[in-house]
Amino acid sequence: MEMLWLVVLGTLVVGYFALAGFDYGTGLLLPFRGRDETLRRMTPFFLGNEVWLVAAIGVLFAAFPRLEGELLSGAHSTFTLVLAGLVLFMAAVQLRLWSWLVFTGALMVSVGWGLFLAHLLHAPVVVALVMPALFALHGWVFQTRRWTLFPVTALLCALPIPLAFSSIDVAGLMAHTDTLGLLAWVAIPIIPLVVVLQWSIVAISSR
Amino acid sequence: MSAVDLARLQFALTTSFHFLFVLLTLGLVTLLVIMQTRFTITGAPVHERMTRFWGRIYVINYALGIVTGIVMEFQFGLNWSGLAIYAGDVFGAPLALETLIAFFLESTFLGLWIFGWGKLNRWVHLALLYLTALTAYASAFWIMAANGFLQHPVGYRVEGNVLRLDDFSALLTNPTFNSALMHVIFASITVGGVFLTGVSAYHFIKRTPEVDFFRRSLRMGVITTALATPSLIGAGFAQFPIIAKFQPGKSEATPWIGAPLGFMILIGMTLTMVSWLTLPLLIKDAVIRMRFPLYLMVIGIPLPFLAAIFGWMFREVGRQPWLIYGLLRTEDAVSHVDASQILLSLIVFTSLFVLLACVDWALIARAVRRGPDVTPAPVSPLVVTL
Repeated sequence: MEMLWLVVLGTLVVGYFALAGFDYGTGLLLPFRGRDETLRRMTPFFLGNEVWLVAAIGVLFAAFPRLEGELLSGAHSTFTLVLAGLVLFMAAVQLRLWSWLVFTGALMVSVGWGLFLAHLLHAPVVVALVMPALFALHGWVFQTRRWTLFPVTALLCALPIPLAFSSIDVAGLMAHTDTLGLLAWVAIPIIPLVVVLQWSIVAISSR
Repeated sequence: MSAVDLARLQFALTTSFHFLFVLLTLGLVTLLVIMQTRFTITGAPVHERMTRFWGRIYVINYALGIVTGIVMEFQFGLNWSGLAIYAGDVFGAPLALETLIAFFLESTFLGLWIFGWGKLNRWVHLALLYLTALTAYASAFWIMAANGFLQHPVGYRVEGNVLRLDDFSALLTNPTFNSALMHVIFASITVGGVFLTGVSAYHFIKRTPEVDFFRRSLRMGVITTALATPSLIGAGFAQFPIIAKFQPGKSEATPWIGAPLGFMILIGMTLTMVSWLTLPLLIKDAVIRMRFPLYLMVIGIPLPFLAAIFGWMFREVGRQPWLIYGLLRTEDAVSHVDASQILLSLIVFTSLFVLLACVDWALIARAVRRGPDVTPAPVSPLVVTL
């Protein structure tokens, strides 16, 4: 049961960074590319990409309650930065507000995740720049449609934070098996369902 | 102010702003379901145009509301880690079900609905709206189940110094959950009805050429309000015996607690009375020809929002000093974080949420002023808002 939930959480976190990574990359590249075309390419993916984070935090809360509180409150100001960036970025992208607001939002989110990575690894603050660099690369691959490279940059974006997590011993931080068993009935069918539906959104909008 | 005061203030402010978006989302999606069903069955263009016009407002509101929802979700871990540590096993279950069943699926169905407009079979497209509405209600269901547990904890056992989930079905039959859920659902339908009425009235004040369109919308708004408010009030009063039984000290929690409750009841009664008085005036459009009621309808738009915030103030402030009634004190649940960090996040999130609410209001006002499309246009603000 513990393994199962690590896999569920891992899938959601990897899914979030692999997908939302190119959103943030797109935001970071926006000042250097044609605005309308760049945003139009991202549009059908956008909402779907960001909700992976919502699902990941939900699972973190229910399945790893004693990890979630420590993790988030232990990096309080970093998450304030990530969330403030997310608010600006999501509002600016969806409403087609000014490009610089999209860029600023994306920069705040990426630097925020970078700072979180540095925090997890107890590394110097400079490490924070890794995430914006990877996101920008991933965004560039997505925007220039280099699909053979896409899985590579997706993994590069997705892996640093889950790998940094693997140093944490989760035994004793997880919920009781009664709670985990109940949630498994919901989480396991829903994730593939959402993947299929999100894929349909992309397929329909490119018709 | 101490860390716990700041964290409470932040939670109160962000939740209130989030709830304004939620109310309109739930209210509008319910009415959209009726509009699109009528369009799908009859094929009449006016129903399609209604679905588009009100659907665009709904999507604008959803797109900004989802952002406030993400912050809400993080806030538990950021400021209230004591809650997750002590009761995460029980309280976390409905919350996670909300994010997975409702949030994750709802936004995906909505995405399909937006991008499938005009591209899917119209029955499939209608089914997507039904699924969006159903998952939106599921969201309210699970959030209220989680909140019901905080008001009157059930279905748990104490193991060492944490709570464990003992009986999940007890969470779903919790009396502080069921009546409050109905109250919240009818409150959001009332918001939808009053909103439809007010916006349509605005167009009649402006002498709109779209008489048939807004006449239908106004009637739908008034009838919805008239049907929803008696149930709203019924579900509200049904909670008093439950409160008396499980939270006897609720109305003495603070000296001013009676004020929000009183204002909420006053607004609820007013809306019920006014909507029933308006019903006979719908005959031969008397209410539109009289004109002065139209101004009252526009002024009335904020009232159900205000009442809902007052209602939450009573429910949540009245639970103090407990976070989980009788089990966990609010002051013991706050994260071990410096007050200055909470102050920073309080300032950042409150100002961003105020900004979001203003942007939401401005964009909805613009969509309202622009009126229904003469030529079909895409429904999504992802494409057309600016």
